[in-house]
Amino acid sequence: MRLNLVLELLDIPGQLMDALEPVGRLGANIVTVIHQRDVKTERGTVPVQITIEGDEETLNKVISVLEAQKIQIMEIDGVLRKETITTILIGDIVDKDVKDALNKFKEVEGVNVVDFNLKMSEHPEKSASKFIIEAEQGKRKAVMKKIKEVGTSKGFLVINEV
Amino acid sequence: MKICILGFGAVGKGVVKVFSMKKEEVKEKYGIDLIISAVTDTSGAAISDEGLDPDLLLKVKEETGKVSNYPGYGIPGISNLEVLDKVDYDCLVEVTPTDIDDGEPAKTHILKAFNDKKDVVTSNKGPLALYFKELESSAGDNNVQFKFEASVGGAMPIINFAHETLSGNDINSVLGILNGTTNYILSRMAKEGSSYEQILKESQELGIAETNPAQDVDGLDAACKVVILANSLMNMDVSLNEVEITGISEITPEAISLAQKEGYLIKLIGEVSPDTLEVAPRLVKEGSPFAVEGTLNVATLKTDLADDVTVVGKGAGSIETASAILSDIISVSKSK
Repeated sequence: MRLNLVLELLDIPGQLMDALEPVGRLGANIVTVIHQRDVKTERGTVPVQITIEGDEETLNKVISVLEAQKIQIMEIDGVLRKETITTILIGDIVDKDVKDALNKFKEVEGVNVVDFNLKMSEHPEKSASKFIIEAEQGKRKAVMKKIKEVGTSKGFLVINEV
Repeated sequence: MKICILGFGAVGKGVVKVFSMKKEEVKEKYGIDLIISAVTDTSGAAISDEGLDPDLLLKVKEETGKVSNYPGYGIPGISNLEVLDKVDYDCLVEVTPTDIDDGEPAKTHILKAFNDKKDVVTSNKGPLALYFKELESSAGDNNVQFKFEASVGGAMPIINFAHETLSGNDINSVLGILNGTTNYILSRMAKEGSSYEQILKESQELGIAETNPAQDVDGLDAACKVVILANSLMNMDVSLNEVEITGISEITPEAISLAQKEGYLIKLIGEVSPDTLEVAPRLVKEGSPFAVEGTLNVATLKTDLADDVTVVGKGAGSIETASAILSDIISVSKSK
């Protein structure tokens, strides 16, 4: 069987080699690799599409090894593995300790804060901060609940997505 | 069909105006003769078994401020309950001011009408948000109709739409912008980058926000609608104090501009689902069904068969709300 993957690699030398190495080593075949360094995600990473071929067991092994190597798999056969969640907090980021809130968000398994933006106001208590959080597919509701819980307990006004 | 209208404020006047505009059409199309048997306000009432003239009612109210000055048929000082005893009517239109602390006096009026075996149409959120099950079961016990389309979203069709057009579907959740005033304020903040305080002040000058805007901006009005939708569409048994409510007064231009950079708008969203009853500012994608502007209301019903269905409409306004009341009256009459 064949499997189409979209990987997300850092734009530094050797990344693609590291990602492809386990495929051959475990006995799967590489059918195609589409790698365009000039097409980047908003985070500056490079999406790479690869198609690999092998029996089911081998392909599953490849995926778990890639995951163990912390290689980001964005899609498997067109199904997204990650989703992004945008949240805005209103409140004084120093006073209410936005950093601690951030760390607490990360405690949820599979959650990554990929972007943080700040807009100060003349009144510090009205400053706004925006997070973009990446979470595993299917965890959206749980992550949003956690964000609301942590943010609210720190005195922020939490504005989640619908 | 003889109608008794309790309350002659913005909605009551809208109903009488719509009767004046549509009386002939309703007669021709549906065979229903709309007769206004009584209209009341704080001054008293105008009562006539033969029917009051809608245009004269509006003129008297406009010129004197008191419906009890209606020539020949005005009765100063008579109470609403006395009117309900005195008047021969088929359907009560309860449009007295909303009270969200105890739902009175509307609740008493509605229950009395039920016990007198009369149908009731109302736009009054107070009693619905506080005593839904009690009212519904009283209507059932007395075998009369109880309709309240106008209580949620003004002219935006949602309750009858879900019950009739989507019948057979389970409604799994409802998400929507259920308050026009806050949508107007947030839309203008997003467009102009101005502060909440400034836009609120301008909205008050334009008559879009009330002098005491608390019920709207604190999310209470939307929360009442969340409760009505939960009880009437999803068969829940919840009350206003079970809704988690956050208003919009803390929303800043900075937050809106951060949201816009990412392609989002901030809207006050009501959510009804089995594990969530909430009114809170949320991020919605620009270009999505929730990205409506001005005083518009919108709601997406998530259903098991039809998937997502979204309705949009004017959430407030005297004639718009009266439109929902008229359609309820026609539907009550057709069911006879």
